Amino acid sequence: MSKYLKLSLLGAAIVAASTTLAQPPAREEGPRTPTPRLADGTVDLNGHGIWELPYITDFATRMVGAQKGDQPPMLPWSKALWEYNRSNDVKYDPEGFCLPPGGPRSMGTPYPAEFVQQGDRILIIFEGGGHVWREIHMDGREHPEDVNPTYFGHSVGRWEGDTLVIDTVGYNEKTWIDFNGHVHSDQMHTIERITRPFKEVLHYEATIEDPGAYSAPWTVAWDIEWTDGAELQDYICQENNIWLVELKDDLGHPFFEKMEAP
Amino acid sequence: MKTTLTALATLTAGLLFSTHSLAHHSFAAEFDADKKLDIAGVVTKVEWTNPHTYFWIEVEGKEGVDVWGFEMGSPNGLMRRGWTKDTLAIGTEVIVRGTQARDGSTRGNAQAVILADTCTRLFAGTSQRDFVEDESAKVEGCTPKQ
Repeated sequence: MSKYLKLSLLGAAIVAASTTLAQPPAREEGPRTPTPRLADGTVDLNGHGIWELPYITDFATRMVGAQKGDQPPMLPWSKALWEYNRSNDVKYDPEGFCLPPGGPRSMGTPYPAEFVQQGDRILIIFEGGGHVWREIHMDGREHPEDVNPTYFGHSVGRWEGDTLVIDTVGYNEKTWIDFNGHVHSDQMHTIERITRPFKEVLHYEATIEDPGAYSAPWTVAWDIEWTDGAELQDYICQENNIWLVELKDDLGHPFFEKMEAP
Repeated sequence: MKTTLTALATLTAGLLFSTHSLAHHSFAAEFDADKKLDIAGVVTKVEWTNPHTYFWIEVEGKEGVDVWGFEMGSPNGLMRRGWTKDTLAIGTEVIVRGTQARDGSTRGNAQAVILADTCTRLFAGTSQRDFVEDESAKVEGCTPKQ
């Protein structure tokens, strides 16, 4: 059994255990139009409009079942790195360098997103995060035996009733979990569960399972509001990122220097 | 011009304002939230660049004219809130409220750009964390010239 298959099975168990924690959207005001559907009855995750992704700067504040002030179950090294990141005003945040947000952070970063649903795959296109997209394979494939690490990892999706479940492995270590400086390892495995209980709201949940950085899986959740008729705009973060040019390391040297042979 | 400004103000007021910042760069590492700025000047240059829009103003100082540069949010964020490429024309008199760079230079992060003629407040898309946009119709300390 491959490492990732094991992770997937563990993930399935986690999801099964976490479904009882899933809360319906707490939206009490505004319209509640019935969930739109495609011709074959599948939930339509988009339509003509955009999803107004909330800016979740600290995932600890969105942990399911957590009390105020709780932190995810960090290992000593990841806790130390998180504290260091906070101590320097998170100046080394990779997203501040215009690198992709990766993983669940992509669903809680500035600027809206759209879903593009096709038969064998779903694309999520993001105005922000460096104008990037995610690809979720819906053709029943499994994760590769030995996946090459990437910013968004390798995502396979399936429908469980009206819930889209996205299972992702193969993340590189070049992203942070959130703006607040929580980190992860390349062992991170995420299970995202997305529902559209009514047209105006997408309910998002992500379970982060990363034995390399956390002692136990933890789950975050939030709602994403729909704006009917709106469209994505241009956002090219890397155009003039003065921040990147001026950033100094802890010894006062330029943070980005030319790569040299050892 | 006046019609445009009125339309812009209406649009800005009519949109839901966010209680969080728009950009994602570390505001705290670059700007000092305690160094408040409230200065008036004339726009000399506007750069519609990502991830931040910049503009410069000339300010009458005690020893001549000072040039101040200000960072705002990204073009997509501003344009979604009613800005167009012509909103801040060269020569426009503005009042800028925001915070100064940590290094003490004549550089700042704009929280509000107020058109001096009409006291119309424009959304500036500051990257300051947890900054709450004040979009009340009345701009404190500003008297319309028109």
